[in-house]
Amino acid sequence: MADRVSIDVIDRIRPTVAQVAQGYAKRLAGMQHCDIRVEASEGVGAYAENGTPKGSGEERGFSFGVRVLAEQGGAVAPGYYGKSLGAADVDNIGKTLREGVRHAYDRARASAAHKATSRGRFGRLGESLYDSALASVDVHVDTINAVYEQDPRQLSLEKIMGQLIDVSKAVGGTSSKVRYNGTGATSLLIRDLFCSSNGSNIDHTYAQTEAIVFVMVNGDTGPLELYDFNGHHRGWEIMERGYDHQYVVAPDLMSFATDLAQQAVATANAPPLPTSDGDVTVVTDPHYNTLLVHEIVGHPSELDRAMKMEAGYAGRSWLLNSINDTQIGKQIASPLVNAVSDATIEGYGNFPYDHEGTPARRVWHIRGGIFEEFLNSRQTAEILGVAPNGGYRANDAAMVPLVRMTNTFFLPGESAPEDLVKDVEHGYYVKGHRIPSIAESRENFRISANQVYEINHGELGQLYRDGAIQADSKDYFTHVDGVGTDFKMYPIPNCGKGQPMQAKRMGNGGPTMRSMAKVVGP
Amino acid sequence: MLPLAKLKRAVQEAVAYLRTVPDVIEAEVFVSSNANLLTRLSYTSNIPSNGVEEPKSLESDGIGLRVVFKGGSPLLVGFGSESGDVSLTAVREALDKARKGAVRDPEFVSLPRLGDRPRKSISNYHDRKLMHLTDRQLVELGWAVVDGTLDAFQSSEELLEWAKSPDAIPDLGLILTGDVIVLQERIALGGTHHDHVLTDESALITSMSTSMVEQQFTKGTGWQVGARLDEFQGTSGAEAARNAIRAAGGSRVPDGEYRVVLGPQPVTDLINNLLLPSVQLGTFQAWASPFEGKLGKRIASPLLSVYDHGALRGHAASKGITDEGLPTGRTDLIRNGRLVGLLSNWYETQRILKDPDAKEKLGVDPAKRRKAIAPQNGFRTGLGGGRHFDRDPGVTPTNVIIDGSETVPSEELLRRVGNGLYIGRIWYTYPINGITQADFTCTVIGDSYIIRDGRIAEPLRPNTVRINDNLRRVLNGILGIGDTRKPTIVWSADEMVHAPEIAVEALHINEIGEFLETGS
Repeated sequence: MADRVSIDVIDRIRPTVAQVAQGYAKRLAGMQHCDIRVEASEGVGAYAENGTPKGSGEERGFSFGVRVLAEQGGAVAPGYYGKSLGAADVDNIGKTLREGVRHAYDRARASAAHKATSRGRFGRLGESLYDSALASVDVHVDTINAVYEQDPRQLSLEKIMGQLIDVSKAVGGTSSKVRYNGTGATSLLIRDLFCSSNGSNIDHTYAQTEAIVFVMVNGDTGPLELYDFNGHHRGWEIMERGYDHQYVVAPDLMSFATDLAQQAVATANAPPLPTSDGDVTVVTDPHYNTLLVHEIVGHPSELDRAMKMEAGYAGRSWLLNSINDTQIGKQIASPLVNAVSDATIEGYGNFPYDHEGTPARRVWHIRGGIFEEFLNSRQTAEILGVAPNGGYRANDAAMVPLVRMTNTFFLPGESAPEDLVKDVEHGYYVKGHRIPSIAESRENFRISANQVYEINHGELGQLYRDGAIQADSKDYFTHVDGVGTDFKMYPIPNCGKGQPMQAKRMGNGGPTMRSMAKVVGP
Repeated sequence: MLPLAKLKRAVQEAVAYLRTVPDVIEAEVFVSSNANLLTRLSYTSNIPSNGVEEPKSLESDGIGLRVVFKGGSPLLVGFGSESGDVSLTAVREALDKARKGAVRDPEFVSLPRLGDRPRKSISNYHDRKLMHLTDRQLVELGWAVVDGTLDAFQSSEELLEWAKSPDAIPDLGLILTGDVIVLQERIALGGTHHDHVLTDESALITSMSTSMVEQQFTKGTGWQVGARLDEFQGTSGAEAARNAIRAAGGSRVPDGEYRVVLGPQPVTDLINNLLLPSVQLGTFQAWASPFEGKLGKRIASPLLSVYDHGALRGHAASKGITDEGLPTGRTDLIRNGRLVGLLSNWYETQRILKDPDAKEKLGVDPAKRRKAIAPQNGFRTGLGGGRHFDRDPGVTPTNVIIDGSETVPSEELLRRVGNGLYIGRIWYTYPINGITQADFTCTVIGDSYIIRDGRIAEPLRPNTVRINDNLRRVLNGILGIGDTRKPTIVWSADEMVHAPEIAVEALHINEIGEFLETGS
């Protein structure tokens, strides 16, 4: 038995996983499709609070998940199974995987049999209970290696704990008004293996290093909490010296944390933002637009949500009423607005294949203000009659994937960002995203900002706290009259979707933009 | 799942081994085996769908150690775990990880002290049938909800009237989404500082459904929470469908302040997203509660009482012991409007007792209010439930009971509101300016009505208003509390809130989303 799971376990078990998916599973009666995902990870994590250590440890994961489509009684249905594994499972991995496939298969067959009965029982209402199918993708056999300088497996716990304590002390030393702070970080190597019954066999390893900083300040106008995330698909080197690559924003951890603390102190001394009577001019910075594009473009562009599969949880999308009634090809925004999801470029949502073996590609959501394309999975693509575009991803191999954003962002425009402020007689400059609340079909939003500045005669003036933008999505996009050249992309590490909820990582971003909205205070 | 006897034996062997390790001062052993069995449901009458979309499960088992090592002051404490194995090999691996990761946390006092005679609050309370669910049973639980919903659609005269003919009913855009969830949890716990091995088994079943008639812009909700398989009726989907049909044809309302009755789901959403995070001891520790310095003081209407109770037999979120081995029990949080207690685990309770700022944070000396900060909520939840070996205990509510010093029937709540709104389901309820400020915002997505002259009038059209208000204002503006509580769950929450309807003096409402109806 292996003493300890490492990502190297994938080399050892890869032939067995492929054999179970392409041999054992295919021999089961009625089997239409089987895929098996295995994930192994290793690295380190630590947390400090108020300049003192709170915990550190090695981080290791090992798990697998199975999807089956199987026929029974004249209908086809899906079944799933997921399990966390340990070192003790490695010697018996074939048996463990076969048991998992068998559970998924039994569930799929039982569900298919019942589906066939319900189809007959409910007449016209039963007709939409279809035979599950997946849009075809080419078979891929590939191995992709991670990019990093400092190997997460070789990182010393003492070293990162010491750095986190230093950062936490520096945050606490920013001002006597800082009452509490916490800083946590992880650095991991994650290795995903995907094997399907049609022959795909993809081994993808990537580095993931991220940190969270939380600051609690007691200012002149009351307490204020701010938190933010930093990270990228690299090693610990990005926390020590930052990562500067065109549009990717990943400062070194010390600068990142102390900047946030200084921002919190300044804002906690500011008055609360007065709510406007109606729409006013708002200029939003790239960090704010990171959450805006996430909530108002990315989420409604997920095809599982648009097809009502999330109506009870994460909601629907105003971009699709039914298969024949969508916003595809319609003007939903100013011609200045362009937005895409692109997993092929650098960012926290970068990957070569999604979790069902579909190669990544750029997906145009909004081009010249016209809605073009949803992010999809093989299942949802088949229903809509389009090609899969690589959006099906899970948090962990044991979890069932969902349609997820990749690197989803507003494309840059042609205006100098400072000109977008200079041209404003009176308005507000909205800086840094904080907390979102979005309507059920993403048709309306209120997203709070870290800071809001009043603009008077083209100059930034009074700073306000606890401010937000509130608007109907289409109105907001239609009124965009300026898009900056200053495109930036940030990591979003906690996007909740699914049941059980999966908090997924992705990249989001955009340039400075200008539009009209109501500004809302406490 | 691993049998309880195996978990117990694993703890005994681990404790015996750890007592022989020279650098170990003290250790706690936690072994668990969990399964989250779940069918996600997805039916749409005009888009191809599976009905039972995801019959699935998530299983895990393993061992976790909290260890205090020799090495001076502050104490050197570490955590380590191993998945998929509970043998001595796994214990050695977990111990090695704990040793490598150990830190000197100046606020750590000790591992939990269970006393001379550790006890469980309740025993043999779980349903064995839930613990032995087959793949076929799991699938059939999901189909019971789907079929019940389709029955409700098929027998609806309203749908037939709207569609004009039976063949056209699917064109109305009928939707069901939701789930049936069965949680199966087994744990065993012991330590080097006592001779007891405590075990616990818990299981629960929940179902949450949302139904829509899209062409009528209407949405309804249904749910069921239980501790026994035999009590599961699979009716949440039909309830949601009936509620959706009942709420069709709603009206918009303009911006303004409205008196409201909040139904069980909005009450639960506010409790889950705003109140419970605000009454955890750790939140006070971080100066982040909107009720800083208010322990023992009034924070809400005298009508309101709220308590957490993890030892109520027959309640879905009950447990015999916490995941620290301590007895579960009742923690009064708000009594007649006063903040009287906070949710805590062993670590948080111990550190606040040492905290020089404790009196300023709480408003009282915690040493004089030990019962108010009793560590009765130390659980290792995650991944949609479960009691997981691979994490330190956090603080998780259990059964949260909303009570009133005077409760009244629903009709009386409507009478007190007079003219206003009945809010039955809210969405994306977040503390928009952080927990400390208690500001919140959300939208109203269904199950809601306009109240006129103390009676329910026409439905409020879903997704047409946003609420922008503050938790403190809501808590202090309570007009009345209903006399019927419904066990209620919200997405991704661990606790079960037993929520009544509550009438509130004023909520600030903004009209939204007009472009979806006007097309511009």
